[in-house]
Amino acid sequence: MKKIRPAPLSSLVVALFLLSSSLYYLVVQPGYIPLVPFWEGGLLVCLVLITASALALRREEADGKAVVWPFGRLLPLAADLAYSLVVFLLIYSARVRPGLEIELLDLSAVFTYKIVLPFLVFLASFLAIKDSINLLYGYSTRGREVLVFSMVRLSAVFTLLLLGGIISVILFRGIGAISWEFLTSPHYRLGTEGGISTCIQGTFWLVMGAMLISAPLGIGAAIYLNEYSKHSGLKRVVTIAVGCLNGVPSVVYGLFGLAFLVATFGLSLLAGSIILGLMNLPTIILTSQEALKSVPNSLREGSVALGATRWQTIKKVVIPSAMPGVLTGLIIGVARAAGETAPIMWTAVTFSATPVHMFYGVVPDVTQPVNNLCYHLLNLIYFLGAWDVEEKAWGTALVLLALVLSINMVAILVRNHYRKKVVW
Amino acid sequence: MAMVLIFYFLTFESFLAFREVGIFDMLLGQKWHPAGDIFGMAPIIVGSVLITLVALFINILVGVPLAIYLSELAGPWSRELLKPSIELLAGVPSIVYGFLGVLVLVVYLEGSFDMLTGRSILAGAILLGIMFIPALTTICEDALRAVPKEFKEGSLALGATHWQTVRNVTLPAASSGIIAAVILNVGRIIGETMAALLVVGNVARLPSPVFDVFDRGAIFTSVIAGEMGEVAHGSMHYHALFAVGFVLLVIVTVINISADLVRAAIQKRFGGY
Repeated sequence: MKKIRPAPLSSLVVALFLLSSSLYYLVVQPGYIPLVPFWEGGLLVCLVLITASALALRREEADGKAVVWPFGRLLPLAADLAYSLVVFLLIYSARVRPGLEIELLDLSAVFTYKIVLPFLVFLASFLAIKDSINLLYGYSTRGREVLVFSMVRLSAVFTLLLLGGIISVILFRGIGAISWEFLTSPHYRLGTEGGISTCIQGTFWLVMGAMLISAPLGIGAAIYLNEYSKHSGLKRVVTIAVGCLNGVPSVVYGLFGLAFLVATFGLSLLAGSIILGLMNLPTIILTSQEALKSVPNSLREGSVALGATRWQTIKKVVIPSAMPGVLTGLIIGVARAAGETAPIMWTAVTFSATPVHMFYGVVPDVTQPVNNLCYHLLNLIYFLGAWDVEEKAWGTALVLLALVLSINMVAILVRNHYRKKVVW
Repeated sequence: MAMVLIFYFLTFESFLAFREVGIFDMLLGQKWHPAGDIFGMAPIIVGSVLITLVALFINILVGVPLAIYLSELAGPWSRELLKPSIELLAGVPSIVYGFLGVLVLVVYLEGSFDMLTGRSILAGAILLGIMFIPALTTICEDALRAVPKEFKEGSLALGATHWQTVRNVTLPAASSGIIAAVILNVGRIIGETMAALLVVGNVARLPSPVFDVFDRGAIFTSVIAGEMGEVAHGSMHYHALFAVGFVLLVIVTVINISADLVRAAIQKRFGGY
């Protein structure tokens, strides 16, 4: 165990304080920053400690003799120190003070004190942390590893914060709007009052329609590709087409629907279902194919050896074993269809408050347009400045998010459940 | 079949606009001014390039380290927590991102940069960059995991630290997957509609200076989604929007195919995973 060097360690602690506090002010951005004197002091302390420990390390390494550090080590250190010094002087000489405004290169933004100062300090503290860790480990590879891996860990924390932030913001702002009435009554007065029942109905039928179209087609195509097709030419073409289809932007599906389907069926539930179904097709084909591929050949051969025909084998052996994978793909398809706006904007939805018309109470009238959660939310966003719809918008966003995330959650659970259970 | 249909209809509908305006005038024209029947896509293309570059920067900055964390550092406990969270994050509908963008991000940017309006290319880029972190991470992690254990063990046995191993062995070996993931994400960013539509400001005008990300801008998808609702069916504007969609489709398809080719090429050359 090497002895711990106190100077870089303490400069590391000071720099961490600088980093976290400047990051806080960078995010919150109050007009007045009470910590400025501490930042000045902190920068100065870091500066002195890092210089001192660099000199100490150099003496230590040299065993009393004067050696010149390699350029690649000296230059960054000197640059970092110079930068910190400049920042310190800028703050100390009140160049960076409240009221400062910088306009750069005709950009449409003004960089003011409240963002410039925390940013300068943030950068300085980051550099100080880098140097402190390097000095602490005597510029060994271990120090580099500690530095990089702590940054990598930060990215994980950031992601968790992001997810938590998104969910909690929507939950807290939206929960106030949720009531039984909100969920079961249609909206009126341009969405400022009432609820979202028609949107929920519309979303439900659109998703049902989409799945009715994409599930049989998708699974059928996957079975064909994986079990039947021998012509590698056709298979290649279909595979490439599926890949391309998978990448087509959702708005292009909308355009396609507008040019092709709306001309034929009009603005209707049917047109929207076909478009959403088409959009889901590649996902379902790819996941089903993946699931079918993972069924070992020995199972198929066993079945065939018992005298089963090919179709019997597929029906009784292959499909049941591939079911969890296929199911996961379908559930993800449901979630995607429920969360898409662009493909149906011009093909299937209106901002209507009339419930979906039903024949005999069970079959929806597919020639009529419906309302939809995403489209409703989009309209409310457009109304935001003009009418008081913010609360309803948060409520709608919460319902939509909860719906889509819970469907996705089910997909993840199904997959994990079978992944643990099924052992070939 | 569906692919052919999509291409056919887009070409068909956009043909008129291309013929009327001329392909070069349309692609390189400096002004997008539907009321005057002037349809030049240069502002849209510049906007898309800016937004993609900035979004990709954010995307890679968080996405790749996250993938490294998941495949190399995470213990079983944090993996169990992070993996589903990332998958859930990928499932958040884009309109919800757009909604948050309007009410949180745009307001925030407006305050911090004293902008006329927070709706800007930067807002769109931040939103899209964050939105596609899960997509990048998932593919990168798969690529990193596919690197054989022997490679890493060999490196560690030679005395390299864990980080040296990751940097010099694992990352290069997985580079084909990572680069393909990045290219795929370019396609996703260019093709994303709702979130971008709501925060980029939808002003199809060349920013000045050209790299002014704080200005309002427009990208392919936002122009289509923003203007298609109001145009008369069959008008010149209508066809011009289809032309924008056609260009978008061509770009995205080329990107997706090139992602595949790049992966294949790098694998062939360096034997990656």
